[in-house]
Amino acid sequence: MKLRTKLCDLLEIEYPILQGGMAWVSTAELAAAVSEAGGLGIIGSGHAPTEWLEEQIKKAKVLTNKPFGVNVMLMSPFVEQNMELIVRERVPVVTTGAGNPGKFIPRLKEVGTKVIPVIPSVALAQRMARAGVDAVIAEGGESGGHIGELHTMPLVPQVVDAVDIPVIAAGGFFDGRGLVAALALGAQGIQMGTRFMCATECTIHDNVKQLLVKAKDRDTVVTGRTTGHPVRIIRNKLAKQFEEKERQGAPVEELEKLGVGRLRMAMVEGDIQEGSVMAGQVCGMIKRVEPAAEIIKDIVTGAEQVLSRLSKGEF
Amino acid sequence: MATFDRIKAIIVDQLGVDEADVTMDASFVDDLGADSLDIVELVMALEEEFGLEIPDEEAEKIRTVGDAVNFIQDRL
Repeated sequence: MKLRTKLCDLLEIEYPILQGGMAWVSTAELAAAVSEAGGLGIIGSGHAPTEWLEEQIKKAKVLTNKPFGVNVMLMSPFVEQNMELIVRERVPVVTTGAGNPGKFIPRLKEVGTKVIPVIPSVALAQRMARAGVDAVIAEGGESGGHIGELHTMPLVPQVVDAVDIPVIAAGGFFDGRGLVAALALGAQGIQMGTRFMCATECTIHDNVKQLLVKAKDRDTVVTGRTTGHPVRIIRNKLAKQFEEKERQGAPVEELEKLGVGRLRMAMVEGDIQEGSVMAGQVCGMIKRVEPAAEIIKDIVTGAEQVLSRLSKGEF
Repeated sequence: MATFDRIKAIIVDQLGVDEADVTMDASFVDDLGADSLDIVELVMALEEEFGLEIPDEEAEKIRTVGDAVNFIQDRL
């Protein structure tokens, strides 16, 4: 059975697998490797300045001729310049996080860039669909980093029922079983972040990769619920410090201050105790560091096996 | 029903707050405990009730109950 969905036609990719655009993690090297392997690689721009993003986009274009994307964090101070750059560079796909990309949509669509916001609720998905986005990523709280309240299993079918554009499921996906489950829920593809952190081409510090390889199912925690901005990270010294402060009812400003610069500290400097190791609940399934192409191949062959087994009634 | 009362009913229903707290100068975030996703749902419910479209630029400006009432009254 072919795994090609309408999303593949829309994005001109071979397999319906997107690699999440993670700040400080998803560089041109990783994105290009995923795109080369038939998925959609996405550069994560986070709070990075526009010059950095420009360098990454140019690098990705050298490394691959296939479509790739950029994730834009809408709360970044550079959001306007980053969007202008994306338009200028004719980046094929933009995913957005932390808000509503509405005002950027006309300009992006004018140059043919596909716009795909990450959404955590039905109402926002409906509003985005009305604003003309090409697809939405329904991301559940199993994922790493900033999360919403709903989890993937109830979120995805409710979004699928509410909009008539393709839905990409995210949060908790790891292998072919998950991909088939997403398709069963009515999604047209998946976005994965955590597993791609352990791709050979991912440029994060090796300490983080080894930590994820060792991690077990219960090794992530959600901090920051009291600030209204919950974040899933690996339980480490920083997480414990954060939890302790939250228990003591520390003011939001103090908690936010504690988080500043921590993601870079983990991903770039490799401080996995004091840094913020954002990762999803699938970390327990990561067994090795392997090339992005192997990850894609594993998902695709796994999904084909599951589909064939299910179609034969072997449950 | 007056516009204010129709809006108040929607706010009470959407945000699960007491009617008495829904005053013209009540802030959705600070006084009624709404987060950004609650506001998206509220805006959609208001659009449906009054059969109008509230664009993102306008929705962003709605911070208090009074802002919502004034916006809608101007368009009825």
